[in-house]
Amino acid sequence: MEAGASRRAFRPVLRGGSRFDRDAANRPILVFEDVHKAFRLDAPVLRGLSLEIERGEFVFITGPSGSGKSTLLRLLYAAETVDSGRILFLGREIGRLRADAVPFLRRNVGIVFQDFKLVHNWTVAENVAVPLEVLGLPARLVRKRIAEVLDRVGLGGRGDEVAGHLSGGEQQRVAIARAIVGEPALVLADEPTGNLDPQLAVDILGLFEDIHETGVTVLFATHDRSLLDIRPRRVVVLDDGRAIDARAGLDDLTADASPALEVA
Amino acid sequence: MNAFDRAFRGSRGDWRLHGLSVFSVAVAFVCLAATLLVVVNVNAVRGAWARTGRASVYLDPAVTEPQVAAIDRALRATEGVTSVRFVSSEDARRELGASGDALVAALPAEAFPASLEVSLADDAAAARLARMASQLAALPAVTGVETYQAWSERLGALLDRGYAAAALLALIVLAAVVSVVSSTMRLVLARRRIEIEVLKLVGATDAYVRRPFVLEGAGQGALGALAAVALVGLLYAIVRSSLDGQLGLLLGTPLTFLPWTIAAALVALGAAIGAGAAHLSLRRLLGS
Ligand SMILES: Nc1ncnc2c1ncn2[C@@H]1O[C@H](COP(=O)(O)OP(=O)(O)OP(=O)(O)O)[C@@H](O)[C@H]1O
Ligand SMILES: [Mg+2]
Repeated sequence: MEAGASRRAFRPVLRGGSRFDRDAANRPILVFEDVHKAFRLDAPVLRGLSLEIERGEFVFITGPSGSGKSTLLRLLYAAETVDSGRILFLGREIGRLRADAVPFLRRNVGIVFQDFKLVHNWTVAENVAVPLEVLGLPARLVRKRIAEVLDRVGLGGRGDEVAGHLSGGEQQRVAIARAIVGEPALVLADEPTGNLDPQLAVDILGLFEDIHETGVTVLFATHDRSLLDIRPRRVVVLDDGRAIDARAGLDDLTADASPALEVA
Repeated sequence: MNAFDRAFRGSRGDWRLHGLSVFSVAVAFVCLAATLLVVVNVNAVRGAWARTGRASVYLDPAVTEPQVAAIDRALRATEGVTSVRFVSSEDARRELGASGDALVAALPAEAFPASLEVSLADDAAAARLARMASQLAALPAVTGVETYQAWSERLGALLDRGYAAAALLALIVLAAVVSVVSSTMRLVLARRRIEIEVLKLVGATDAYVRRPFVLEGAGQGALGALAAVALVGLLYAIVRSSLDGQLGLLLGTPLTFLPWTIAAALVALGAAIGAGAAHLSLRRLLGS
């Protein structure tokens, strides 16, 4: 199983049985090429968005409400499809995946939402176990991995509590644990701090920083400007349907100008 | 956690909904099971009557002893005839009016013709006798032959109507179970929308998402059918004990319950329809 591989030796498998692509390790993990997306013809959301994200980057996606942050993330896990242009994840074009390949894409992507999306009457452990059970891992291994990941998000030993009884901040930690328990290459967070008070928001951001430390690529969508200034990370602003690199991350400061840097 | 565990967890969470569904399915199946029970018993009665078939050869009042003896011999020589008994006009009157009924005593002698009562081994013998009947009737000493074929035919017609009714009920039950399980599933799916959404987001295949719900649907159908069979069984036991075998004597064969094959088939039918209905409701939701 692809998620069984160790965190760093990630195998970019989109479908069971497909070959390991060695070149993928050297290419950007995500490439947007001239992506267009409109829900209504008179109000396009993305209008020729191009963007590259390197493996292991931490990127803030920001922009005003309605600028298409959620849409961009939804395109990444194939909940929406592009009207034109291409999105490459590990060298594979997401828009061309067959419907039965989409689940295998999603097993490589962890997703965290503003509203947590926990099953309230399940326990914390049951909620976190879902991605591993989908993979069919044996129960003993699932228990071990859950204990580990709950430790990582600061909820060690609380696996038997009912998820709906936890506080908002704790519920978001459970959701984060669920997103990373399968050891995905990419973690998407859509306003993960939107429902939390400022101090909790900073704590949750710290959790994503920790996840990033382990080599995971993180896309963090938020319109909370205060979060952007805590650490010098790359910031991509969605404006008028395009992506503008408003600030390069620390890692990128030494490198050449980002390919996506095109101030409108 | 396999699909059974997940189905169990799901139905435990929504046990009220599932209970209601099982109850409704049971109501539908009670009708079908009861009809089948009647059909099974009518069939048994017909079988018993066919096995212990009999016929009456009515004789002219002016018949002579040698004539009777000749017919008796001819009947005995017929294959499948197990016994022939002569009943005189007086015997016939006595059998009917054993209690000294004034009305019976007042009837003329013609109302009680003498007869030869023939017992037959099986259906085939009855058919042979029916063919002989016309030849027998042609004899001057014989006034008529009653093979009771009409009764068997009437029961057969009743059975045919019973089969038709059972088939129709099976269709109605099918429709009822499909609609009950589908609407339950719609409610269940609405309540577990987040669970389904999460499963799809973490990369569950549609088949994986669908499996526990299909099992739950099958469970509802099977449990409903099982409850119906149990209920009809209980009613059957009550009827049988209160009639204390009189009905059996009257019909010439003991009452029987549904054979286990039919009971098992009902449960399997419930499970299959329930699973199918759940599958269909999920198909709409998952869009595949
Ligand atoms: N499924 C949909 N059908 C129709 N319009 C949609 C749909 N999804 C998004 N939109 C529209 O696309 C635009 C971008 O929406 P999106 O949710 O991506 O914005 P956002 O940047 O995430 O905003 P926010 O900060 O408020 O979350 C909005 O105008 C929204 O109304
Ligand atoms: Mg949004």
